[in-house]
Amino acid sequence: MPNQNGSVYGLTILSPILDDEKASPSHDLQIRLYLSTLPTGANSPFAKSPGTHLCRLVVMDDVVYVGAPSIEEHLQSKYLVFECNLDATGEEGLEAYLRGLAEHMPDHLDAIWSHCVGYPGAADVQAFIRYMKACQVETTFFFAAVNNKSVTESLRALQTQRAVADFIASSQGMEASRLQAKFVEFAAKLKAEPLPKPGSMGPKRDIKSGGRNE
Amino acid sequence: MSNINGKVYAMNAITPMKPWKSWVLRVIFFALGEFPALQQDLINLSFIEFARWVSVPRRKFPYLAHGQAKEDLRYDYLLFFSNFNGTWNQYIDAFSAVLASGLNLIWRWSEKFPGSMPVTLFKEYIARVQFDTDYYYTAYPHATANDLKSAHVVQASFESLSAQAGNYTPEEFAEAFLGFVLQVQAHLGETGEAPVVF
Repeated sequence: MPNQNGSVYGLTILSPILDDEKASPSHDLQIRLYLSTLPTGANSPFAKSPGTHLCRLVVMDDVVYVGAPSIEEHLQSKYLVFECNLDATGEEGLEAYLRGLAEHMPDHLDAIWSHCVGYPGAADVQAFIRYMKACQVETTFFFAAVNNKSVTESLRALQTQRAVADFIASSQGMEASRLQAKFVEFAAKLKAEPLPKPGSMGPKRDIKSGGRNE
Repeated sequence: MSNINGKVYAMNAITPMKPWKSWVLRVIFFALGEFPALQQDLINLSFIEFARWVSVPRRKFPYLAHGQAKEDLRYDYLLFFSNFNGTWNQYIDAFSAVLASGLNLIWRWSEKFPGSMPVTLFKEYIARVQFDTDYYYTAYPHATANDLKSAHVVQASFESLSAQAGNYTPEEFAEAFLGFVLQVQAHLGETGEAPVVF
């Protein structure tokens, strides 16, 4: 199934946006205005809804005319594109993810999708799931660099990577029995540490290298 | 609007295709999916976290009634969404340099595609068919695709060592720890704020 790559699901949704001459500002602009105020870091609503690796929301105004001799044509509707890379397997997994969105961020969903044709609201979860699936288009080819790890596993691994680097640096030349005791203590402490929040930049550290990237 | 969040860039592009050509492309993507060895160049471009192509037939744009006007299109459309690390120029340059034949195989079915080499015309085409992202979220903005791959290598080695650590004599542990360091030392790169991009 092209939507699936390992344990990661590639969800693509195109929701037609309401076309109402009387609306001011227009519905597409209202979506854009709302999205511009939505936090993107650890306070993002998608950070609170489990299983989202990366996602984007895009207002697609029209198709693109690439020049003669191709034919110029236009869409009848503008579309809200929701492109999401999430932890799910199959249709049941997708429905569980959509249910999670409806439960964790219903106000945001309503504020965004209420400008779209036929949106039933997130309060009726089944209707919401049906609506999102009606707007889904099948992904033709889906590539994932890491396709067998969940968001939780990836956050845990990044936390471990950082801690292990510090531990190795601080244990250089340590005597064997002390090294073993320190490592056992370190491993237990790391295991008990809370997971970094999705969407966060992690603990603030001094940047050791870097600079301008032309 | 922002195409960037932390170390990742969201790119969107849409290109028109004659309907019969989109079927050729579907066959190519099917082969690419069935034979993972053909994806090797894409895997080697290790700054791509996720990418997808979505071919939307001209009569398959979602239609929900409720007064929505039906689309009346002559072309099918190929949507491309990529999540990559680095700058737009780095990405397109690398795409063109490493994946030229692969890109041609995918986009040659789109109208007016100039080919991925030379890169100047390719960049002009991508700039024309690209549209901007309004909202972009990532669960790990401080990490690149390579950071993620490396972190999972470290995690696996760490779990293996910590499961046995208490059972070793100090000398055995010191040797196992040295082996662990050798395994992970190339995977301990720093994560954090992205460099300032101009």
